[in-house]
Amino acid sequence: MAALVVVFSPLPRLRGLLQRCWGRLERGLLPGFSGGHSLPWGPALAVQAPAFFPQPVNNTSESNEASGLLDSILWMAAPKKRRTIEVNRCRRRNPNKLIKVKRNIDVCPECGNLKQKHVLCGYCYAKVKAETRLIRMEIHKKEGGPFNAPTVETVVLYDGEKPTEKDEGKRIIERARKRPSWFVQN
Amino acid sequence: RWLASSSLFPLSCIHTSTSLQKSGKWEKKNRIVYPPQLPGEPRRPAEIYHCRREIKYSKDKMWYLAKLIKGMSIDQALAQLEFNDKKGAKVIKEVLLEAQEIAVRNHNVEFKSNLHIAESMTGRGRYMKRIRYHGKGMFGIMKIVRCHYFVKLVEGPPPPPEPPRTGFDQAKEYVQQLRSRTLVNTL
Repeated sequence: MAALVVVFSPLPRLRGLLQRCWGRLERGLLPGFSGGHSLPWGPALAVQAPAFFPQPVNNTSESNEASGLLDSILWMAAPKKRRTIEVNRCRRRNPNKLIKVKRNIDVCPECGNLKQKHVLCGYCYAKVKAETRLIRMEIHKKEGGPFNAPTVETVVLYDGEKPTEKDEGKRIIERARKRPSWFVQN
Repeated sequence: RWLASSSLFPLSCIHTSTSLQKSGKWEKKNRIVYPPQLPGEPRRPAEIYHCRREIKYSKDKMWYLAKLIKGMSIDQALAQLEFNDKKGAKVIKEVLLEAQEIAVRNHNVEFKSNLHIAESMTGRGRYMKRIRYHGKGMFGIMKIVRCHYFVKLVEGPPPPPEPPRTGFDQAKEYVQQLRSRTLVNTL
């Protein structure tokens, strides 16, 4: 939570505007705290406003800005009273703000982890993703660089599998492990 | 690293211990030992108190998750938290799994699914104040917010949720109140 504090700039160009703002603060029209913290004034004052505006241009812009600010300050919405903790609690604990209980969680029949009904099981998906990554690494080793993808289909063969007559013209990727149960061979 | 707590004047400062040596009351609740039960008494369900301190999350945001799992069985709570997108859900899930592990190992709980969440609460951790730099040399003071999370697991199935108070119940209670008034200073 940040509380905005208006910083005094000792430069004479903005002094008139800031004095008016500060006067309004003191009278309590703008929400803010007068005589804020003594400690952070130091580093804040170290940062200066840019010093390259010419005087006459700034005067007119300043007066325009001041009158605009005067008008807009009177129309700005501000809270009238502090919201009590009871009112705050009523708003924060309203049933529409509480987290709803999800009723669409099931058990994955493959691995037994929990899954949402309309979403793939996270564990099984991670398993498939890891195996796909290894297959892609094999493909990368075979291709040896970008833009070398052949125009034929690819077939993945595991330990002890021979290419059938259907896989005649296809590119063969070898994986040195047993075929996983979920990767069905055609 | 022994730090002197208020020894000169008893009411000068109550919270003098720093985080290094403070041992929370919630952790001590696990240490109470009941006398052995008599043969005729009903079995006292096991209670496991667990907490995690100084979680980098807001206590108000964590409260919604704590309210979600209050009164659920531990399996249901873990399921709900797994598919919740909030940052605190992951933390609370870890805390619940740790507590389940402690229950099975140290507190003689037979079935790890036979636990339900009796209490789950959040508390405010230590806040730090930092400067947040705005434009034009303005600054704000921001709070770096941390929270604690407390959970009490009790053995046994979760208690049935109590039915919501209807208008009829409220009317009955009102009539009961009127009937139980006594007349003062009369015969």
